[in-house]
Amino acid sequence: MSATTTGAVPAMPSGSLMRRIAWHCRYDEKRELWIGWWTLVAFYNLYGLLFFVLARTQPPPQPSLGPAEIVQWFDDRRSGLLYGYAIVSIVGGATAIMTATLAYTMRRMSVSRAFAYSYLLIYALATLPGMLIMGVACTVGAMRPDRDHALVSWLYDFAFLSFEGTMGVFLVGSLIWMAAVLLDKNRVFPMWFGYLNLCNALTEVVVAPAWIFRRGVFAWDGAIAWWINMAVFVTYTTVFLTLLRGMIVREDFGSGPLPELASDRAPASAGTLGAAR
Amino acid sequence: MRRVDGELVLLWTLPAVGLIWLSAFLLFPGFVQPMSPAMSAEEVVAFYRDPANLPRIRYSMIVFNWFAVGLIPILALIALQIRRMGHRTPIFSYAILACAAGGPTIFLMANLFWLTAAFRPERDPQQTLMFNDLAWVTFSSQVGFLIAQSVILALAIYLDRRERPVFPPWVAHFNLVVALLLIPAAFVGIALEGPIAWNGLLSFWVRNIAIGLWIVVMGVVLGQAIKRQQAEDGAMTT
Repeated sequence: MSATTTGAVPAMPSGSLMRRIAWHCRYDEKRELWIGWWTLVAFYNLYGLLFFVLARTQPPPQPSLGPAEIVQWFDDRRSGLLYGYAIVSIVGGATAIMTATLAYTMRRMSVSRAFAYSYLLIYALATLPGMLIMGVACTVGAMRPDRDHALVSWLYDFAFLSFEGTMGVFLVGSLIWMAAVLLDKNRVFPMWFGYLNLCNALTEVVVAPAWIFRRGVFAWDGAIAWWINMAVFVTYTTVFLTLLRGMIVREDFGSGPLPELASDRAPASAGTLGAAR
Repeated sequence: MRRVDGELVLLWTLPAVGLIWLSAFLLFPGFVQPMSPAMSAEEVVAFYRDPANLPRIRYSMIVFNWFAVGLIPILALIALQIRRMGHRTPIFSYAILACAAGGPTIFLMANLFWLTAAFRPERDPQQTLMFNDLAWVTFSSQVGFLIAQSVILALAIYLDRRERPVFPPWVAHFNLVVALLLIPAAFVGIALEGPIAWNGLLSFWVRNIAIGLWIVVMGVVLGQAIKRQQAEDGAMTT
């Protein structure tokens, strides 16, 4: 469909890292996929740093705090919240390229494109409860130290309930990825990854009681609603980043089953150009 | 072959939506002389209770509510142009579509907070202040999807392997400059006065002029790209 230039591709230089990166940027057939993968890796590291170290909103504080304690909580981390969530709003859009890369894994499967499209739209909207609403609520809560205590308390609830409690997007998104992996005949991901998606989806179900309980294991800072959820999420993310890397290495831009790792060591030949679309 | 009928009709919605946005922007009394975040709760309430302001606040925000999603067809057209580029995967066009879904939702949220503040101006001043803060912070600081769509478009243009690129390289440079100009607005929370405050030089004027300029420039280059595409498609069929 598109007229690609098929000039001679020089061999990958073995010199410095910068020269190798420059080669990949210019000639690597898979550069779009690698941009997506590196964005995912960089973003999840930065996300952890921003939420746990700079803004210090994770692990979450107790839902049972009184208005005066909540105001104190904001006082303790005012600059962290303001600068941390400012950076979140700058880099938040990077999720678009990340979601697009993950949607591409479904497009490469033998399933309908409806799976990729659904996943793309669901995770595009997931950025709102996933971080942006919390960023707005925390910024507004932190920007005026003299705000009425009852309203600061409302902003605190709004921030954490939107972040911890709004899980439908992640629930349905994971189930769509699960269904795609289980139905796929192109062996893009191993079957067990489908079931790991189910684990991630189930953790989104068990956080629902965070809307009801203010104390105990089901509260938004509890062992079930937060700690198990976070453990599964970190495992799930690490696993899919590893699997995605393998998938990119194996990618042949065909439409049939993805080759296994060993048979794909040779660089992509010019003969596969144009076959992808 | 892919059908392009109607793409120019969608493109011509842009000047219409642009004019409507500009009118609503000028109608809202809080934009022409941007409201200062340093205003006290009493001053903010007085702004909403002022009989000269209240109808203008409501009508301008109702118009924004109608047309908040007006840029989506243009982003869809940009996604289609990215599809024509010499890439190996549809990742960049997917990513633009993801931005198109996320960005307007944020603008709608800001709009809801402004309209909620104006719905009961007799509300407790502290509450009106909070809704006003939520509206301005959402509107000003949430530049992530706008930055992302510019950066993604620039990357897509740089990595276009076609001999005759869909967009010229300067469009990519321009998009990166726009993305840079949007960054300071993310920090509106840290200052109630000065260039970073939500009524300041960087967070209000530079940011909004950059967005306006992006809409005008992208409208023109998109029109040219669609024309070139139609000429190429015509040459292929005859």
